[in-house]
Amino acid sequence: MISNPDLFSRRTALKSISSGFGYLAFAALADQQARAEKKTSAGAPGPLAAREPHFAARAKRVIFLSMRGAPSHVDTFDYKPQLTKDDGKEGKFGRLRGGRLLGSPWDFSQHGESGLWISELMPGISAHADELCLLSGMHTDLPNHPQAQVQMHTGNHQFVRPSLGAWALYGLGSENANLPGFIALNPGNGSAQHFGSAFLPAIYQAARFGTAGGRRNVARRGRGSERQESVPNIKNPSLETDLQRLQLDYVQKLNRAKLGRDVHQPAVEGVIESFELAFRMQDEVPGLMDLSNESKQTLSLYGIDGSATERFGRQCLLARRFVEAGVRFVELSHGNWDHHRNLSEDLPARCNEIDKPIAGLLADLKRRDLLKDTLVIWAGEFGRTPHGQGGDGRDHNNKGYTTWMAGGGVKGGFQYGATDAYGYEAVAGKMHIHDWHATILHLLGLDHEKLTYRHAGRDFRLTDVHGVVARDILA
Amino acid sequence: MHIHPLLTGLFCLGASGLMSVLAEEEAPSAEAVKFFEAKIRPVLADYCYKCHSADEKIKGGLQLDTREGLRHGGDSGPALVPGKLEESLLWTAISWQDEDYEMPPKQKLSESIRADFRKWIEMGAPDPREGEKIVLKTEIDIAEGRQFWSFQKPEKTILPAVKAADWPQSEVDRFLLAVLEEEGLVPARDAEADALLRRLYIDLIGLPPTPKEFAAYGVAWRKDPVAAYRAKVDELLARPQFGERWGRHWLDVARYAESSGKEINMTYPHAWRYRDYVIDSFNEDKPYDQFVREQVAGDLLAIESDEDWQENLIATGFLALGPKGLNERNPRQFALDLADEQIDVMTQAILGLTVSCARCHDHKSDPIPTTDYYALSGIFQSTRTYFGTVNLAVSRRGTKLLDLPVADEDPLRSMSAREMAFMKERLEGAEEQLEDLQRTARESRRDGVNNNIQQQILRLRRVVTGFRARLNGVDSEGVGKTLGMGVQDHPRPVEPVVLVRGELDKPAQEVPRGFLQVLAHEGTPEALPANGSGRLELAHWLTSAENPLPARVMVNRIWQKLFGQGLVTSTSNFGATGQAPSHPELLDYLAVRFVEEGWSVKAMIRELVNTRAYQLSSEFNKEAYLKDPGNALLWRFTPRRLDAEVLRDAMLCASGEMNLERPRGSAVATAGDTVVGQRLSPELLNRQVTYRSVYLPFVRDGLPESLALFDAADPNLVTGERESTNVPGQALYLMNNGFVLRRSDVMAQRLLKETEETEETEERIRLAFKLAYGRKASTLEVEQAKGFLWSFTAAAVKKGEERKRAGYKALRSFCQALLVSAEFRYLN
Repeated sequence: MISNPDLFSRRTALKSISSGFGYLAFAALADQQARAEKKTSAGAPGPLAAREPHFAARAKRVIFLSMRGAPSHVDTFDYKPQLTKDDGKEGKFGRLRGGRLLGSPWDFSQHGESGLWISELMPGISAHADELCLLSGMHTDLPNHPQAQVQMHTGNHQFVRPSLGAWALYGLGSENANLPGFIALNPGNGSAQHFGSAFLPAIYQAARFGTAGGRRNVARRGRGSERQESVPNIKNPSLETDLQRLQLDYVQKLNRAKLGRDVHQPAVEGVIESFELAFRMQDEVPGLMDLSNESKQTLSLYGIDGSATERFGRQCLLARRFVEAGVRFVELSHGNWDHHRNLSEDLPARCNEIDKPIAGLLADLKRRDLLKDTLVIWAGEFGRTPHGQGGDGRDHNNKGYTTWMAGGGVKGGFQYGATDAYGYEAVAGKMHIHDWHATILHLLGLDHEKLTYRHAGRDFRLTDVHGVVARDILA
Repeated sequence: MHIHPLLTGLFCLGASGLMSVLAEEEAPSAEAVKFFEAKIRPVLADYCYKCHSADEKIKGGLQLDTREGLRHGGDSGPALVPGKLEESLLWTAISWQDEDYEMPPKQKLSESIRADFRKWIEMGAPDPREGEKIVLKTEIDIAEGRQFWSFQKPEKTILPAVKAADWPQSEVDRFLLAVLEEEGLVPARDAEADALLRRLYIDLIGLPPTPKEFAAYGVAWRKDPVAAYRAKVDELLARPQFGERWGRHWLDVARYAESSGKEINMTYPHAWRYRDYVIDSFNEDKPYDQFVREQVAGDLLAIESDEDWQENLIATGFLALGPKGLNERNPRQFALDLADEQIDVMTQAILGLTVSCARCHDHKSDPIPTTDYYALSGIFQSTRTYFGTVNLAVSRRGTKLLDLPVADEDPLRSMSAREMAFMKERLEGAEEQLEDLQRTARESRRDGVNNNIQQQILRLRRVVTGFRARLNGVDSEGVGKTLGMGVQDHPRPVEPVVLVRGELDKPAQEVPRGFLQVLAHEGTPEALPANGSGRLELAHWLTSAENPLPARVMVNRIWQKLFGQGLVTSTSNFGATGQAPSHPELLDYLAVRFVEEGWSVKAMIRELVNTRAYQLSSEFNKEAYLKDPGNALLWRFTPRRLDAEVLRDAMLCASGEMNLERPRGSAVATAGDTVVGQRLSPELLNRQVTYRSVYLPFVRDGLPESLALFDAADPNLVTGERESTNVPGQALYLMNNGFVLRRSDVMAQRLLKETEETEETEERIRLAFKLAYGRKASTLEVEQAKGFLWSFTAAAVKKGEERKRAGYKALRSFCQALLVSAEFRYLN
């Protein structure tokens, strides 16, 4: 047992957790640190302690805007004049030679000094064209939503693996002891695996705000600006904080005793850590989620005005507040992008819901000087076909699509990679999900080949044995 | 014997005969084509396409620019029955016979045009608009696909030899030990009596043992441990709480919920009958093959009494209570989506296959061609599903419900005579008003006047529907009707059409209704009957002992619930993208045993809990851990978290409040037909009650917090394995939620009541440990607890709290500490 905390560095501590032993020594240390650091430092204690990256990071934190259902790239960020020209002709793609080509019904134009081509469906985001780095050579393994979503989040659709956010948190720790380091706002149903820690310690999984637990937001939807986000059960109705602390100390004594008996029990370690985090969250979360001190101007910047942009606007504003407070990785999610039918009505409606909020987020981060080291990522799980489906829809397409990044050390006003003339298949600057993950970790100062975790006798990586950093997009 | 249950009211003009028109037709003659091109197509284009074509609108779900569209019709049913003028809605509409269907709405077609249509329909409505006939071919080699392990019939192999011959207590143990020995692993020691008893209670009935039960078991165990244990197993299997525990496992798989989910999320106020049916079936130890047959085709099985019939009808709720997009505009799309959902749940739950993947293309990894999918889909397209829900402007796909043959003894939602009279009066008023408005609307349409009358009509329709729904739920005396969700056969079955990429407007060839080729076995019928959907044959085919999958899948589900993970860890996917079994011979052995023992779930559970492997300690072993960290080979018992329901129930047990009586119906049944979030508010869904968690209201996207936070099954999906998250939201719930605080409070009162009133707190502490952990507190633990009570009381007094009150608060906090601690929440 190590008694001198100085000899027991955080790296050693982590290593010892990862092999599953020596937790008790570690827990004692973490506890001491927690007490010592609680009043003086904002950094998180224990396994969430902020850690140095492998090399100088360009981005310190991530806001990931996840578009569930796979938005059409050829109608948004991948301009395909040839497709428009050949509208109505027989397609030559896919198993059944596709249907007829469907030129985008929307106009594209060039934006900013960089002259990026963006569709008229995204007027707000277009105004930030010079910040955007379009990744137009994306591809993924399977054209099925569940698998592709899991792969986008964890790299592997076949086995349960830690999420990108969990890896980031494991690599870098958190900068705020009182908040989860990884937060998922309004995640979809049945998506626990997207935010899970798998074999990484449980503390690295996302805290999910907004659905699990009563799903109150669902019931409150539509009441406009009266709605106030909150985390359920954030306050004890009868115990004062110091009495609750006494109680929690006793609970943890019981928990540590159990852990001592069980010797190795990652789940119980998770229980211990989540109680501590929850206790600290009570202090900080209510204020953080209270948007009433935001100016009218800021609210309207995000489209928080009772219209269709309200819901996502609130999420975007919360994301800014979270990263500002030191949260490492925030994921927002927006659904209903699966436009097999009704493309002409539904796609503009979805774009309208996110365009102003995202534009507001980019503007707000910029004026607070946060964009330079905050990486904003926009992505669906795959793209859609250039040929139509049922006249007014598009089918799944995993062979070529577009995601984008902004801020956090990527080249702005830049398009990297391309699909063929119709947008069917990535042909240049191809970027598989593994490459995309490797690049994101690189921007965070982490070497995807060195960020490993030993489990079941082998070192695991987010990118498995794949992944090439797209150096061309680094600013 | 009954043939068809009564349906409440008339089935609306609609799906009947929907598909019968799809039979093969000869190509129209040149002359017929000429007539169509000259007389019919131009009229359709000029007068109809504006509201009924892919390029414009598809009002009422009716599309007239394709032959398929015309034949399938829209919301009101097929527009055209070739050769049958009076059955063709198209004719009714253009001849303005029905006030509600006067088409084109502004001006009646000329008499000569109408005569052309009459002639055309009578000559069989030849319609050349079809283009080349697409025939979808598969590239899947079924014979080769059949070589995959899970499509081979399970067979018993010779028991493997083991070195430690005295270790195994059963055949199952032999299989496990052989692998452990091969890997150089040594099984852990046997579990302690108390730990094992808690494990057995939680696993079999989902409740912890009471202190009395612990004590009595201890006495029996000291006399004869094996006999005591086996007797306990039998006793627990016989308790009604067994069905509540194991029924819940099946409800996870059956994606049971009391609302439609998706965009509209309307309640299913009658779904609870299926829940109770499942629980009762497990309690009766209904043979699993029969259980499956009832759920797939209960309406078609031979019966001896009304009670049997009732039970079988309710069983088919399995097919009716899935998630539904009630706002779908196109009725045919809705019907196909419904059939798809039924295929999905049935094949995942029973066969462990994801057959729905083959809807748009051949299955990517398993030998299931798209044509097989449509063959199966034809069976469900030939089935009518009765799920209820109210039709509103946005929710348009509601159906009737099944009128069950045995009336409830104490009906739910009955109405007083006064209430009924009031509602009838209001309804009549609204109906009259609606009629007036519709008349006015017709007149103004004719006169070309624009007004907002349509909106008034919509509003009134909503009112009328609401009243009708409420009144439809009761008989003429105001007594609540006994209704259920379920299915019935169509009078005329459909020969399904393969759809390219699953698209409605891309029909390819017709295929005969049928099953999956890769699972064809002796006894698979050559063809399905022309006078039924084929569901009955499907049910028998599914549960044939020759079918390699159902027994394997079910024993694996049972195994997973007892040992923490399945022999096949992907419990609902036995295909190529699933995981291979860790012990293939053992899985086969169990599958064969299961069928031999008459598909008895209780017998299988008994066999498994009586193994030595189940009774191992969960003690950690570093060496074994490094070799097999996931404990796939079962060198110890895998520690695991209590399920959401068990955690909640265990708290109620510790506080002494658990009410084991089954509540009648459900909070959703009481709320009736409504949209989740409206009359059924989150507050109502989270109301504090003391009955078992399995009876809590279970609506999609609105599970009670106590369940949702702790990873209860999301009923939007088939759930074989639950997630096990560990997030601060759970800790916040345990620290601050009213339910937990209340249980702690009642438990503290219980401690005071059940112990002598002395200054000595030691006795209370000991009782609390027994209630919470089912074991004695150690001396150190008692000292620590005393220390806590003392310091908490002192701190509260210092804050100005009165001494006695402070002492009580401390006791309450102590109880809560036990209830939220890891030992309470985990099973060793």
